[in-house]
Amino acid sequence: KMGGVTPQQMAVYEEFARNLPGFLPLSERDTQALFMPKPATDTTVTSYVANPAVAVAAAQQVVAYATASAVSNDEVGAMLEKLVAEVEIVLTAMGPATPPAQHGALHSLLESIILTRRSRDTGAAMNLLKKAVEGLLDGPTISSGVIDSEVVLRYRDMHLRILKCLQDPRAYGMQWTNKHVTRCLIESREEFRYNFEGVDCLIRSHLVSLPQYDVALAQAVEAGNALATAFAMQLVQLYLIDERQTTHVTESDLFHTIEILARMAHHRAPPEGILLYRLTSLIDSLRANHDPGILADRAPAGPTAHIHSGILQQARDFDDPPGLMDKTEYLLREWVSMYHNPTHARDPTKAFSIFVHQMNIHGILKTDDLITRFFKLSTQMCVDLCYRALAESAAAPSLVRAKCFHSLDAFVRLVALLVKHSGDTTNTHTKINLLNKVLGIVAGVLLQDHEMRSTDFQQLPYHRIFIMLFLELCAPEPVLEAVNYQVLMAYCHTLHILRPAKASGFCYAWLELVSHRVFIGRMLAITPQQKCWGMYAQLLIDLFKYLAPYLRNAELAKPVTLLYKGTLRVLLVLLHDFPEFLCDYHYGFCDVIPPNCIQMRNLILSAFPRNMRLPDPFTPNLKVDMLQEIAHAPRVLTNFASTIQPMTFKKELDSYLKARAPVTFLSELRSNLQVSQEAGVRYNIQLMNALVLYVGTQAIAFIRSKGHAPNMSTIAHSAHMDIFQNLAVDLDTEGRYLFLNAIANQLRYPNSHTHYFSCTLLYLFAEANTEAIQEQITRVLLERLIVNRPHPWGLLITFIELIKNPTYKFWTHEFVHCAPEIEKLFESVARSCMVQKQVQPTPEPEIPE
Amino acid sequence: PLGPVPLQKEHQLQFQMMEAAYYHMPHPSDSERLRSYLPRNTCATPPYYQQVQLPHSDTVEFFQRLSTETLFFIFYYMEGSKGQYLAAKALKKQSWRFHTKYMMWFQRHEEPKVINEEYEQGTYIYFDYEKWGQRKKEGFTFEYKYLEDRDLN
Repeated sequence: KMGGVTPQQMAVYEEFARNLPGFLPLSERDTQALFMPKPATDTTVTSYVANPAVAVAAAQQVVAYATASAVSNDEVGAMLEKLVAEVEIVLTAMGPATPPAQHGALHSLLESIILTRRSRDTGAAMNLLKKAVEGLLDGPTISSGVIDSEVVLRYRDMHLRILKCLQDPRAYGMQWTNKHVTRCLIESREEFRYNFEGVDCLIRSHLVSLPQYDVALAQAVEAGNALATAFAMQLVQLYLIDERQTTHVTESDLFHTIEILARMAHHRAPPEGILLYRLTSLIDSLRANHDPGILADRAPAGPTAHIHSGILQQARDFDDPPGLMDKTEYLLREWVSMYHNPTHARDPTKAFSIFVHQMNIHGILKTDDLITRFFKLSTQMCVDLCYRALAESAAAPSLVRAKCFHSLDAFVRLVALLVKHSGDTTNTHTKINLLNKVLGIVAGVLLQDHEMRSTDFQQLPYHRIFIMLFLELCAPEPVLEAVNYQVLMAYCHTLHILRPAKASGFCYAWLELVSHRVFIGRMLAITPQQKCWGMYAQLLIDLFKYLAPYLRNAELAKPVTLLYKGTLRVLLVLLHDFPEFLCDYHYGFCDVIPPNCIQMRNLILSAFPRNMRLPDPFTPNLKVDMLQEIAHAPRVLTNFASTIQPMTFKKELDSYLKARAPVTFLSELRSNLQVSQEAGVRYNIQLMNALVLYVGTQAIAFIRSKGHAPNMSTIAHSAHMDIFQNLAVDLDTEGRYLFLNAIANQLRYPNSHTHYFSCTLLYLFAEANTEAIQEQITRVLLERLIVNRPHPWGLLITFIELIKNPTYKFWTHEFVHCAPEIEKLFESVARSCMVQKQVQPTPEPEIPE
Repeated sequence: PLGPVPLQKEHQLQFQMMEAAYYHMPHPSDSERLRSYLPRNTCATPPYYQQVQLPHSDTVEFFQRLSTETLFFIFYYMEGSKGQYLAAKALKKQSWRFHTKYMMWFQRHEEPKVINEEYEQGTYIYFDYEKWGQRKKEGFTFEYKYLEDRDLN
C-alpha cells in the first residue's frame, strides 16, 4: 500500500470503471469516492514533461502530496472518527445491563470502524456494513423494555449513522451501500431477518434497495415460510394501507410480494399460523385503494415499468455525463443527413448498420442508461428544432412543417430500426422494452414541456413522433407482426398517461392519434379475439370524462365544440364499422357521459350486433314478446356490481332482494344514493346506474328461476319492483330523472334487458300515483326521440307502446296538452315516428367540413 | 337538465391549455408521410366549387378513364400513395410495362423483332419523365430482369 497509485495508473482504473460494458457507469462523484481523490496539482505535472528528470521528481512529489492529503483532508475519515466517539458513548450508556452478546458486538463494531478509517479499502468497509446491519437487527428493542428506551434509540441511531456515512457520495455511495445492506438483510440469520422494527428503520432511512428486497421477500413467501409471510403482510399493511399517503413506498416497490400474497389469498392455503381471512381482507383493502382502471397509472412491473422509467428520465437531466450532449447532437445530425441521402434511401439497412457502428464508436450503445439518455436528448433536440421552425412566422406553413418533419421523421426511423433490430429476431422482450422506454421518454419530455411552456406548448413534434413511429411499427414485416399486440399495448398505456385530463394542450393531437384509421383498425379489427377492445374502451372513457364538465354545462366554447365534433365523428365511425364494440361497452360509456348529452348517448345505444335484423317498430301489432332475441342477455363488459359501494349497502341490497325485508331498506335507499344537498349534484349517478342494472338483472334471473318469462305481469310484486317503485315515488325530481335515465339507458336492440326495462318503464307509468312521475317518464323518452337520428330500437318500441296502447290513456293526461307548443311537439313526434318507413337508422356523418 | 355547475379550477386550467392548442391545431399532413412534390396546401375555396373528390374516384375504373399523361403525373408525383398504385394498375391494363433500371414506362410500338427467354427487342414508346413527354426508341432491348412483374392486387 506504500506510495499509493500514480495518477496515470489511476486514469486506467477510472477508464475501467467508466467503460466496462454491462455495468452501470459511475458518475463523476462515485469515481472520486471509490478511488482516492485526485490531487489538485495533477494538471501541472504535464507541463514539466519536457524534461524527464523534472517530470519524475514532480511525479514523486505529487504522490507524496496525494497520500498526505488523503489523510488530512479526509472528510469521511472525520465522520468515522466522530462515530467512534459515539459508539463509546453508547457503550457506557448501556452500562452493565447490556447483554454480553451486544456488548461484544459493539466492541467489534468499534474495531471495524477504526479499521475502515485506517485502511479505507472495500473489504473493511464491507465488514463494517455487515456489523452495522446485524447490530441493528439484533439490537435491543423498545418493546422488550429491558433497556431504557432512550438508549435503545441512541443505539439504533448510531448504527444508522454508520450506514449513512458509508452511503455518503464521498464514501461508497448510495448504490453500493444499499445493494449490500439489502443483501445482508436477505442473508442474515432467520431469527432476526424478520425484525420488523429494524427493517422498518432501514427502509425509512432509504438504506434498502426495494426492488431487490421485494424479490427476495416474495421468494421466501412463495416457499411457504410463515415468518416471512406474516412479515410481508405487516409491511404491506404499514406502508400501503396505514401510511399510504406519507411513506415513499409504492405498490410497484413491493410488486412481487403483493402478487404472491394475492395469489395465496385466492388460490392456495397460506402457511400455518397465517389466518386466511386476514390475508384476503388485506388484499381487498389494497384493491380498494387501487385504481380500478384497466390502464393503471401506478407502475406495475412488466412492460409499463419501462414507460414509467422513461418518464422519470426527465428528472435526471442534471447528471448526464459530460460531452454526451455534443455526441448526441453530432450523431443525430449525421443520421438525419444519412436518412435523406438518396443513396442510403435505396439501401436503408446499410445506412443503419453504418450508423450503429458510429454509435458504437461513440460509446452510446455501451449501456442501457446511455442509450436511454441518447433518446431523451435526441427527442429534446428534435422538439427544440420544431419550436424554432414554428417561431419563424414569415415562412410558408408547408415549409415550416417540412422543416420539422425533416428531422422528426429521421429520428422516428432510427427508433423504429433500433427497436426492430434490438436483441435477436426471436427476442421480443428487448424490442418491447426498448419501445416502452422510448415512448415513456417522449411522454416525459411532452409532460415537462407542457408544464413549462404552458400555453405556448406545441403538439406538433410529439404528434408526429407518435403517429409516424406507430405507422413504422405496423409495417407488414414478420418481426413487427410478432410484437404487434405489445406495440398496441405500449401505445394504449402511453395514450392513457397522456389523456386530455393530464395533458389538455395535447388533446387534439391525442384525439387524432386515438381515431387514426390504422390505430382503430389494429385495435378493433385486426388483433384477434377482441384482445384490445378493453384498452380502446378505456381511452374513449378518458375522452368522455374530459369532456363531461363542459358538456354538462352546455358551455360550448369553440375549442370544446371542435373536440366534441371530433368525438361524435369517432362515435359515428365506430357505430358504422364496429357496432358490437359499442354494444359491449355501452354501460361504461353511458356511465361517464353527462345526462344531457342525448345524441352522443343515442349513438352508443343505437348500436346492435350486425348479424341481427331488427323488426320494424312501426309494424302494427308487433309482438315483442314473441321475438327470439328477447330471451338472450346482452354482454355487459363493465363490472357494474362492484360499483355498488359500500359493501354493507350491497349486502343489505342482496338480502332485501332475497327476503323482501326489512322495509326500512327501502326508506333508507334514498340516503344511500344521495351525496350532497346541492341542486344538480345531489346524487351519485354511477351508483344509481349500477343499482338499476343490478336489480334488473337480478329480477330477470329471479323470474326465470320460477319458470316464467319477464312480461308485464311477471315483473310486478317482487322485491325488485319494490325498489323501482320506491325510487320512482320517493326521489325528488332530480333523483327521479337520473333513475329514469338509468332505465332508459337499457332500451336498446332486442334482448332480455331491453325487454325487461321496457316493461318496467311502462309498468311504472301505469302504476304511478302522481301525474308528475308519468310526465317525467314521458319527458325522458321524448327528449331522446326529438333529437336527430339514430334512435335506439327499444326506446322507439317503448314510446310507441305508450302512445298507442289505450291502457295507458296517454292522450288524456294533462301534461300532453299543457301548452300548444308541447301539444304540437307530440303530434310532430307521433308523425315523424309513423312516417319513417325505414326502421334501421343508417347513420351518416352529417357534420360539415 | 340538471343545470350548470361552475367549473372547477383544474377544469379552467385545462380549458386554457386547450384553447391555446386550438390556435395551432394538428394539420392533416401531420399524420401522413411527407409529400415531396404535392404538399397539402389548405385554403378556403368558394362554396360553388367542388369541395370533395368525385364519388368512386378511388377505383381502378375511374383511373382507367384518365389520360396516360395524368397517370404518369400521378405515378411520379404522388409516390407511395394509393393513387400511385391505382395509376400503375391502370397503366398496366393499357399494356405499359415498367422498366426498373430506367424507372420508366414502356409500351410496344409494334410486335418485337426478337423475343426469347431473356429479353425482347424492337421499337418501343416510352415516357421520359425528365423531358416530360413520350418518345420512341427503335431497336431497344427490354431485358426481362428489369421488368417489374409484381402482381398488383
